[in-house]
Amino acid sequence: MNGSVIDTEKLTFYYEGNDKASLNEVDIHIRRGVKTVILGANGAGKSTLFYHLNGVYRPSSGKVMFEGEPISYRRKALRSLRSRVSVVLQNPDDQIFGQTVESDVAYGPMNLRLPEEEVKERVETALRTVGLTDLRDRNTFKLSYGQRKRLALAGALAMKPEVLVMDEPTAGLDPQMALELMELAEQLHHSGTTVVISTHDVDLAYAWADEIHVLRYGRLIFSGTSEEFYRDPVQVYMTGVVQPSMFLINKSLCDMRGIEEAPYPRTESQLVSKMASGEKGRFLIMPVADRMDSYMLDAAVDEVGGSIKVGLYGSRSRSLLYESGLPVDYVFDGFESCMADCLMGKDVLLLCDESCLDLIGSKLDRLRDFGTDVRAKVMDPSKN
Amino acid sequence: MARSEKAKPREKASGTSEHVQMDALAYSSRMLHWPPLGKLLLVIAVLIVNIMTESVITSLVVMALGLILMAYSTNMRIPFILGIFIAEAILILVIACGIISINGDTSQPCIWSADFLWMDFYMTADSFNEAWLVMIRAIAGITMMMAFATSTPIPHLAQALRQIRIPDEICEIIVLIYRYAFLLLERLDTMWSAASSRLGFTGFKHTMRTTASIAVGIFTSSMNLADKAQVSLECRGYRGYFPIWNRPKKTGIGWVAIAVVTFALLYILGIYTGGVIDFAGLAFGV
Amino acid sequence: MDFKYILEARDVTYSYEKKEGSPKSLSEVSLGIRPGIRTVILGANGAGKSTLFYHFNGVFRPKSGEVLYRGIPLCYDKEVLYQLREDISVVVQNPDEQIFSSTVEEDVAFGPMNQNLHPSIVEGRIADSLFKVGMEDYRYRPTTQLSFGQKKRVAIAGALAMEPKVLILDEPTAGLDPQMSQEVMEMVDRLCLGGTTVVISTHDVDLAYAWADEIHVLRHGRLIFSGVPEDFFSDKESVALSGLALPHTFSVNRSLEGIRGLPEAPYPRTNSQLLAKLSPPEARFGRIMIRGIGDGTPVPEDDGLTRGIYGFRTRRMFRDNGCRADIYFNAVEGCCLSAMQGRDTVLFCDEELVDVIAGRIRSVSEFGRIPEVVL
Repeated sequence: MNGSVIDTEKLTFYYEGNDKASLNEVDIHIRRGVKTVILGANGAGKSTLFYHLNGVYRPSSGKVMFEGEPISYRRKALRSLRSRVSVVLQNPDDQIFGQTVESDVAYGPMNLRLPEEEVKERVETALRTVGLTDLRDRNTFKLSYGQRKRLALAGALAMKPEVLVMDEPTAGLDPQMALELMELAEQLHHSGTTVVISTHDVDLAYAWADEIHVLRYGRLIFSGTSEEFYRDPVQVYMTGVVQPSMFLINKSLCDMRGIEEAPYPRTESQLVSKMASGEKGRFLIMPVADRMDSYMLDAAVDEVGGSIKVGLYGSRSRSLLYESGLPVDYVFDGFESCMADCLMGKDVLLLCDESCLDLIGSKLDRLRDFGTDVRAKVMDPSKN
Repeated sequence: MARSEKAKPREKASGTSEHVQMDALAYSSRMLHWPPLGKLLLVIAVLIVNIMTESVITSLVVMALGLILMAYSTNMRIPFILGIFIAEAILILVIACGIISINGDTSQPCIWSADFLWMDFYMTADSFNEAWLVMIRAIAGITMMMAFATSTPIPHLAQALRQIRIPDEICEIIVLIYRYAFLLLERLDTMWSAASSRLGFTGFKHTMRTTASIAVGIFTSSMNLADKAQVSLECRGYRGYFPIWNRPKKTGIGWVAIAVVTFALLYILGIYTGGVIDFAGLAFGV
Repeated sequence: MDFKYILEARDVTYSYEKKEGSPKSLSEVSLGIRPGIRTVILGANGAGKSTLFYHFNGVFRPKSGEVLYRGIPLCYDKEVLYQLREDISVVVQNPDEQIFSSTVEEDVAFGPMNQNLHPSIVEGRIADSLFKVGMEDYRYRPTTQLSFGQKKRVAIAGALAMEPKVLILDEPTAGLDPQMSQEVMEMVDRLCLGGTTVVISTHDVDLAYAWADEIHVLRHGRLIFSGVPEDFFSDKESVALSGLALPHTFSVNRSLEGIRGLPEAPYPRTNSQLLAKLSPPEARFGRIMIRGIGDGTPVPEDDGLTRGIYGFRTRRMFRDNGCRADIYFNAVEGCCLSAMQGRDTVLFCDEELVDVIAGRIRSVSEFGRIPEVVL
């Protein structure tokens, strides 16, 4: 059980001149290192809640606690709090303040009054994480929507937050951009940041969350695992959302076949593993450090002795791919796409960031619960 | 499983700034359905008489009228922020009137005088009375205008203006500005919070920089909005003028009568009560 | 007049900048929209979807190529364009950009007033279109006090009030929460059944797949595909290059059938179709009863069965009488699923739609066993 990092106690908030509470006695516990989703329809109070977590709004009554200590609203304390809890808004244009990509990412650290060296290093790291290094001198007006969205995220990451709060991270993004952003969120989670996402996209929330908190008209009506919540259709209806497709398909199929609903599949590969089994292909994993070369693919082809589908995972590998120009089949959503092929009996190779190896391992472990034991092999990326 | 559609609560609209509050107040006003032009005529008549009169009594009556109307219009629920505005206005008036009162005509008998640095303060009975009159007039004017503002949303005002033959274009621009002000204010709110989240207001230099960036952001977004609105207008069959569906009902002759009668009554009151209250006498026994 | 396409673009090229050789937002796009066919224009952000829309109602004029309405090339004369825009209504993505008036009623009246219609007709149009979007109670409300979902519905009502022949919606579900999206899509569906040709632009592949009869895919201003969705999604490389992804039902179907060694076709597009295809023979289904609601139909008694509602009139009747319903949104699909899970289910719908809906449910049998439909 992870300890909580942010708690609220009977948090109530009224907007000035509004006699209806925007948040009403909310007791929320956000646990460290747990993938958290705050779910609710438009106007349920998600954004209002976010601004309390980093002290921009001050509760009308009740309190907010960071690491067990009530937040102090003194200027110095707030500064340290906001560097530890970062908020990424839905519309990136609302939080881009710099003229160029680089200056915008530096905006936060500069405001923290860090030494120049430190600022530079943070900007570098943040840009690399979101894959905008090449565009560092670009004017922010000339970026595409997806790039601006990643820039906003980089700006938040440059604060090196312990808790990263993202408001509707995939809203308005193309499917591929959305997948890329969620992959980033997954990586950040893996590197130890507590990532909190607010959304009304139930499919996204279901695939991602370990724990969900559901808000309805300013009240917290549920905290726990997704399945517990979606099992009650009345609650789901009243909240203004619908059941996620994965949940629905699994439930219906299990009902029809008379089998247990648990374990609950949350991704396509998990669902497929649960519902059908056949000859599986080989699943090769190649960690990529700082270059990507064609001999890597050749090695994999030699290993399986035939044709192979290649997928990609991680932002670092993705930016390396554009330099190397290797023929990769699945640039986005690499893990799921490769797994889909693997389950159908094809051999696949997943190129991933070195830091993502554990993450891939845990995904493979998770699949075992659904009856799929993939013959995975981690290949050596060095040229022999 | 049982539930009915009625059980589902309504969505709420968001909004925080004073502009939004003022608007909400006007739309919930009990005087909302009074014809806007009628209200406007009444207020203008009263304001004119308020300036013309030399009598404090008239101004006091106007003030009382304004307060009663405002209380009725807002159902006695004046938002805190509006209260502060009014209080602030009154404070400024008090100071201004203080200055009037100590700049009396030195040829007249003095009731109080002082030297401070290079300034000579000289207060006469006339200057003292004059200051009171100006202050009460001004406060009366404010309450009257507030009564109008808290009961008349801007679009209604535009309708009233249209009735007195102000060109349609101007009225439409007023309405459009009014509509877009909400969008820009909402954005301002969001950007402000986002900047605080990124520590944009730590120290003077950063605050200046942030404010400038926000201003640029609002400016570009208003340009964008204008661009897109132009296209959307065309999509909706815009032919170069704004048609009005809900033409306001003709303001009845009754409203004109009310305005004229009120004007006349107050004016006559002013003639007969000029100088009835002598503030200097009350305060200094002169 | 004989025409195959109600709207057609022929070699349309457009660029926002005037200079020669500047990047093109649309290059040589040729596509036709057939009347009554549910059409989706699919593409990533910046692929040129909105630019294409504005060509259809004559707001933008192609740099080269031509746009045809009912087989006749557009004439860019002012008066003719006004006529055109009465027939072709575009609803933009962000309702705030499209609402110009201060009250709901005034805004909905904007279009019909521009058409110089008689006040009694305008009145009818306002009432009718607000009813269709379920906003009749908000008629006199100021537009600034509406929520995002309500504004969206007012924007759609504003377009409906012009009674267009073709309704073009740009990202109709963007930013809406799931129930609101389903509500909007049901509205759209209902309009299609009423004979309006509806074109939707989106990058939501699940939505496009479930709804469209025909899709046109744009990539960097070029048309790369026109046809049925399955053909496009089968080509993984094209999908990837267009910045899109595979719809859930499509990829789940492909994986499961691939493993079982069965053909992918017929392609299920909705969950109920997918489940019909995957259902084992021993599964016990409930029945679906379809009840028409007309103007004189008495309020249905509560019989304890699972109930879904569909259609403007049914929705209103249930709301006005406070009737119980379990499935408010996407009810045709929802009732199907409910019956497949073994529950007897009643679907209430507007009288004139009974046959259409029964047909729609029965057509699922193409994929496998379906629940029994009782009228």
